[in-house]
Amino acid sequence: MPRAIRGVLVECDPSIKSIIVKIDSEDHAFIVEELDDQTLVVKENMLAILKMRLEDELKNTQQLPDDSGSE
Amino acid sequence: MALLYMTKPFPLTDLDLWVQPDSKRQKDQALSLLKRLHIVNITAPSREDPQVVSLTENFGSSLRLALTGGGNHNSFGVPSGEVVDAGVDLSFLDNYARAQWEGILHYIVSSVGDGTRQEGQGPTAAVKQLLEAGNLVTKSRHGGGITQAGFSFLLQEVNAQVWTLLLLWIENAEKMELDSVEVLSFLFMLGSLELGRAYSTKTLSKTQTQMLDYLVDFGLIFIPPSTPTQFFPTRLSTTLTSDASALRSVSAGFDAASTNTSGSKGFIIIETNYRLYAYTSSPLQIAVLALFSKLSTRYPNMVSGRITRDSIRQAITHGITSDQIISYLSTHAHPQLLKHAGAVGAGPVLPPTVVDQIRLWQIENERMKATPGFLFRDFDGGQKEYEGCVRYADEIGVLVWKSDAKRMFFVTRIEQVRDYIKSRKMK
Repeated sequence: MPRAIRGVLVECDPSIKSIIVKIDSEDHAFIVEELDDQTLVVKENMLAILKMRLEDELKNTQQLPDDSGSE
Repeated sequence: MALLYMTKPFPLTDLDLWVQPDSKRQKDQALSLLKRLHIVNITAPSREDPQVVSLTENFGSSLRLALTGGGNHNSFGVPSGEVVDAGVDLSFLDNYARAQWEGILHYIVSSVGDGTRQEGQGPTAAVKQLLEAGNLVTKSRHGGGITQAGFSFLLQEVNAQVWTLLLLWIENAEKMELDSVEVLSFLFMLGSLELGRAYSTKTLSKTQTQMLDYLVDFGLIFIPPSTPTQFFPTRLSTTLTSDASALRSVSAGFDAASTNTSGSKGFIIIETNYRLYAYTSSPLQIAVLALFSKLSTRYPNMVSGRITRDSIRQAITHGITSDQIISYLSTHAHPQLLKHAGAVGAGPVLPPTVVDQIRLWQIENERMKATPGFLFRDFDGGQKEYEGCVRYADEIGVLVWKSDAKRMFFVTRIEQVRDYIKSRKMK
């Protein structure tokens, strides 16, 4: 019998996906199903939190270009 | 369309004959859309009867009535026979509508600052209530503030603003003891009225007369104080239901109402080094600019600032898109920029580097694409069952992702696929 699961399909780069998997590995609160390298299904109500966590994670890893500039 | 005058339901198999075999996909998608809108009914497939299509009863009869112009429903208004006040001409109505609409916009922006400045000037209490109900502004102990929805509201085209406000109004109509059906029908009637003509209020129903007060507050209609039985639709209302091209020509003569106060001329200069100069002293415009740029200096008649990665990011977290920012900048570009663009030969108004960079900054934040929906899995009925379901989902246009190896697929809507799987089970 086929089953239907509610969720949000997330499509992203493999690198971003691995970050999501890393975030999820702490308490398994986000991912419903990993589909392939670039797609996974996450819980609907956790999407906003996941986005925030991802943003934080990226801030730590990326070097932001300096755009303070002269006024 | 041909279904309109068909009294009997129409077999689905006959419909297939109308459609070319290679465009079956389009037909299925169209049907599924119509079904969702409750315009057509499709009976459930069963063994005894073939599937039939019919128009939903209400929709069919109303459309027939509207097309033949029958019935006594005054859908195009009743012109007033009384003498028209000579002072009421097109420019008067335009000015009136603009003044009313700007009052509302000013209220939204100034809700950030001190509320006392607008004393006695702003819109009526009913309008303020509506803006709060729609979450465009919030009231708190510190005098309230503008919300994300309010920000994007400000950046919209006038016509879109009018509709946003009207939709809010319709949603809240029940609370104000108005019948939302009657509200809607009256609005559509307004859209088909002629600008600058007087119409009589006598033929309107009781609810509609009540509505007139609100519409006057919005600046959609004008009622001369001397003859309260007449009303004039303004440009805001007559363009309600017109198409996009008409909208643009109207806004060209009317763009002052969108966000600025001084006039219809552009005032923003933007350079290739992301510096921005705006020749304005209106708090409304400065507030809008501050949404997506870092303003540094303010002079009596101009402000200067920069567009930075951070300022754009901030705007995007407020729900403003890069396209909104770009279109705002280009519609309000200074004549000098326009002249330069014209000299190069109809080139872009804004420096291309800036436009591209704003878009890039937005894309930077969209590293993943999210689609809410349903994942189907565990097809243990064999490859055939899986393939059938995937093909069906694809045909009605809800399939977003599938994996043949894992026998899983993802759809945006579940109802029809579920019914399909059930109907397969019965066979």
